[in-house]
Amino acid sequence: MSHDEARAAELSAGFPRQTLVSIAVFCVLWQALSYFAPALGIPAFAIPGFAKIWASLIKITPIDVLVTLARVIGALILSFVLGVALAMAMYRSTSLENYLHPMVRLFMAVPVVSWILFAVLWFRGVEFRIAFVLIAVCGPVFLVDALDAMRGVPKELRGMMRSFRPTPSQFFIKLMLPAILPSLITSWKINLSLAIRVVTIAELVGAVTGIGHQLAVAQELFSVADVFAWTLVLVALLFALEAVVARFERRVLRWRA
Amino acid sequence: MSGPAAIAVRGLRKVFRQATTGQTVVAIDHLDLDIAPREVVAIVGQTGCGKSTFFDLMIGLEHPSEGAIDIGGKTPYADFDYFRGRMATVFQQDRLLPWRSSYDNVRLPLELMRVPEDVQRQRSMHWLKRLGLENFTNAYPHELSGGMRQRVAIARAFVLQPEILLADEAFGHLDEVTAAELRETFLALARECGSTAILITHQLEEAISVGDRIVVFGKSARLLADIHVAKWDKSEYGMLREAIQATLQGNAPDVRFAHERRITR
Repeated sequence: MSHDEARAAELSAGFPRQTLVSIAVFCVLWQALSYFAPALGIPAFAIPGFAKIWASLIKITPIDVLVTLARVIGALILSFVLGVALAMAMYRSTSLENYLHPMVRLFMAVPVVSWILFAVLWFRGVEFRIAFVLIAVCGPVFLVDALDAMRGVPKELRGMMRSFRPTPSQFFIKLMLPAILPSLITSWKINLSLAIRVVTIAELVGAVTGIGHQLAVAQELFSVADVFAWTLVLVALLFALEAVVARFERRVLRWRA
Repeated sequence: MSGPAAIAVRGLRKVFRQATTGQTVVAIDHLDLDIAPREVVAIVGQTGCGKSTFFDLMIGLEHPSEGAIDIGGKTPYADFDYFRGRMATVFQQDRLLPWRSSYDNVRLPLELMRVPEDVQRQRSMHWLKRLGLENFTNAYPHELSGGMRQRVAIARAFVLQPEILLADEAFGHLDEVTAAELRETFLALARECGSTAILITHQLEEAISVGDRIVVFGKSARLLADIHVAKWDKSEYGMLREAIQATLQGNAPDVRFAHERRITR
């Protein structure tokens, strides 16, 4: 997870010049490789040039992008609400935490592919399957991060707050939630990239819309240009979502400046 | 505000079990103490004498193992909600919420009491002004000096106009000039509000300059001396300080307190 965190931090820092240079070098190499591919004995379809990729890009159907986006956002909001609510309950009740913590650890160790297979075997509805997989993967991340952050709220602040005698809901709303907000935002960054990667795999199985489905179609057509184009869209989508979170972060965490 | 009630501490005992060793520690051993309404009392004692435990019991964060703290027929732990808005604490560190501006920190207790917003604004601004912070209402804690942060914390306590004010080594970590200035402000405001004030301190100068009374705690909050400062002439303050020092070092009342209403068990 630390790798993802580092990546999230890197992204929010913007694009330094080196990044642009490395992307440009990659593009030049790719284009050159596509040009020389036949001479090197590589089939022409395997490394399409940028003209072909562009042709695939302009054929992108926005509805598939929107459907995938809606699935990711919807499932992440549900995971967030469930994860944070459970974390709050576990923070308040040690016995509940003792019972649930091993289960959460177990959940987190289950590979994504297993969740997808379980979803296919257990449930019929495609949307339900996708939501199930995303929540099973992202929910525990929100839960564990929120619980850790709650435990990290300084004892001094908790004592101060209690000395003014808040109701339990005031205690959470006025102290705990703002205190754990930085951690929650980091969880969102991590989970966004996780969800984008997981949703496409989940969509490969049974979905008739979405970027994952389009990737499956591209694979059946042996169209590397289409795979490349849809992958680019996915990456752009992730960057756009991360930019939204980073903007939100700058806004709500300006007190840290 | 009908005015603060008298505080009666009777047979107060607090025992902790240490999590690591399993040993029991008697933090407070049968403490009896009366504090009159509007009295300003300084509690002095060495580290580990049970001052902070006494404070936690006063605030109601902990429950007594035996005995009780009675404030107008109510107890801070059992009647926790009754004291909402009636009791406020200034802590050793400012304990401001870093994500809230000075103004939002000061109005926090009023928010918790669900006071109407316009009243919150009016009272918070009044106390920020009284503490000389009118130009820093929108500043976040990290933008303020230590002294200013403590001023915000004091404003946050006074905004409630509480019946009981508690200060836990509230000025100890500041430089001497700032501490003296804030202490004076704190006392003047406490008297103006008609609050009963209890201050914990380890600085004898502070205790002498603060209190109507100085209560000296020995080990396990044993009451070693209960000094009425008014009975001492200003010229005797040096001797008073030495006597308190000797009391603390010997963990027994100094002979110079023979004329005080002294409690030893």
